[in-house]
Amino acid sequence: MIELFDVTKRFGSETAVDGISLRVEKGEFCALVGTSGCGKSTTLRMINRLIEHSEGEIHLEGQPVRSFNEESLRRRIGYAIQNTGLFPHWTVARNIGLVPRLLKWPKARILDRVEELMGLLGLPVEEFSRKYPHQLSGGQAQRVGVARALAADPDILLMDEPFGALDPITRETLQGELRDLQARLHKTIVFVTHDMDEALALADRLVVMHQGRIVQQGRPIDLLRNPVDDFVESLLGGMDRGLKEAALTRVSERMMSFGPRLLASERVSYDASLSQALSVMLWHRVDRLTVVDDEDIPIGELSLRRLLGARSS
Amino acid sequence: MSGASHTSTLHRYLAGGWALFLTRWSVPLIWLILLLLLTFGMSHMEGVFRLVEPDTREVIYRRTSFAALLGQHLLVVGVASLLAILLGVGAAIAVTRPAGRDFQPMVAQLASIGQTFPPVAVLALAVPALGFGTLPIIVALLLYGLLPIVRNTLAGLSGIDAGVREAARGMGMTGGQILRQVELPLAAPVILAGIRTSVTINIATAAIGATVGASNLGDPIISGIVNGNTAYIVQGAVLIGLLAITIDSLFDRLQRHRPLST
Repeated sequence: MIELFDVTKRFGSETAVDGISLRVEKGEFCALVGTSGCGKSTTLRMINRLIEHSEGEIHLEGQPVRSFNEESLRRRIGYAIQNTGLFPHWTVARNIGLVPRLLKWPKARILDRVEELMGLLGLPVEEFSRKYPHQLSGGQAQRVGVARALAADPDILLMDEPFGALDPITRETLQGELRDLQARLHKTIVFVTHDMDEALALADRLVVMHQGRIVQQGRPIDLLRNPVDDFVESLLGGMDRGLKEAALTRVSERMMSFGPRLLASERVSYDASLSQALSVMLWHRVDRLTVVDDEDIPIGELSLRRLLGARSS
Repeated sequence: MSGASHTSTLHRYLAGGWALFLTRWSVPLIWLILLLLLTFGMSHMEGVFRLVEPDTREVIYRRTSFAALLGQHLLVVGVASLLAILLGVGAAIAVTRPAGRDFQPMVAQLASIGQTFPPVAVLALAVPALGFGTLPIIVALLLYGLLPIVRNTLAGLSGIDAGVREAARGMGMTGGQILRQVELPLAAPVILAGIRTSVTINIATAAIGATVGASNLGDPIISGIVNGNTAYIVQGAVLIGLLAITIDSLFDRLQRHRPLST
């Protein structure tokens, strides 16, 4: 659990972060979003003390971060950044094993852990362990970066736009992998991004920052429905908010059992989002879709009326 | 990671050991052999130098053996360079730490001044304080050789990707660990290039030490100038040149030797 109480950071006369309070529960995926220069990155880096806060208190599991030794604090917090920061003169395996080595784990345990993580992140050990960072693609390097952050099995993970420099397809793949990883590992994650779709896709909680303050925070769906002001509304996509909200709901949540009519000719997977279903309807100019399971077997249907349906909560 | 393939590399290395060693180090080795041949064979080459100085009675410099002069030369350059490396790399590291950052412009300036100051002038100033002999020339070479080392160490350290430093800190490495495990290995090629420049320049510059009584390969040159004996000058100059080339090719080999990326 991470708690910020009235935290302020000043650089000279400039206030980068202005009295923010925030509580990230254990196992929660919290995304800090906002335009560049809003203080989200500074906030993140104050948690592991890469930047010292000027005022207020930051607590980790109920203890002020200043009560820890700087280095040992950072060793128990995973950290992943945009350009990976992999050491160019170290192999992939050595890069991943960095924090366990700093913590003086026995060699055999480090080796096991590195191989386990490479498996977890889809990096075959034989192919990658002896490669150097410059031999990796952007996506592979970022996987190594995430593996390194997870190496000592920290409870908390700080991620500063980790997928910001990747192409859209790789980015989406890695977002999916991170979501699956989080479903298994239940880390407490603070994730900084300016990509709203990324934040909506990953976060349990959105924290919108503007000019060093938190403007609004809450579940993504709540922010989409009730933005407090025009800034949050435009950040969330303005007129596109409807589609972004639809992207948060699965077809399976809205589908009905078969009606008396014939099966609709166009199909959609039960796992697709409502925005994808809507797109299929628009494309084929139909108002009814057959919902199929993973084996392409019809399991129900979805009508436009049902898709638009009454809001559930 | 894979112990098996590691040992096989080792086996291959041992099997082809000498052949590999010789091909890798062949260039510096050839220059070294040439240098040693001339150092010990110079006194038997009277015929050759007679062509240069047909009218002089003595054409081979015999006051001290060339081997002793070479040893003295190496000692002076070695001590001066070692001190310059310790001082230069140390100062550059100190001013790139958070605590010493304010002194960076000053140190860069001082090193520049050290090189604009002619070594001859340093000698002239140092002799009254330190007396005749080897000490003044070591001081002069130290000052003269500092700049390339300081400048390259600063360049090497500041050229490291900011993300790498940020990650190193974020992972919980201490300042010392970052310096030893990340910064110095990454800056090493650039630092080595600076040391190479410094040492090579100093091998040539050390010759002027002969003017203040430091006996080294500059002796035959100075003596040749004083007595109008071109043969002496050639003997000293050729050996200094060969020594510089040998050491330079040694550094060249060291810089190319990157066991990491092979």
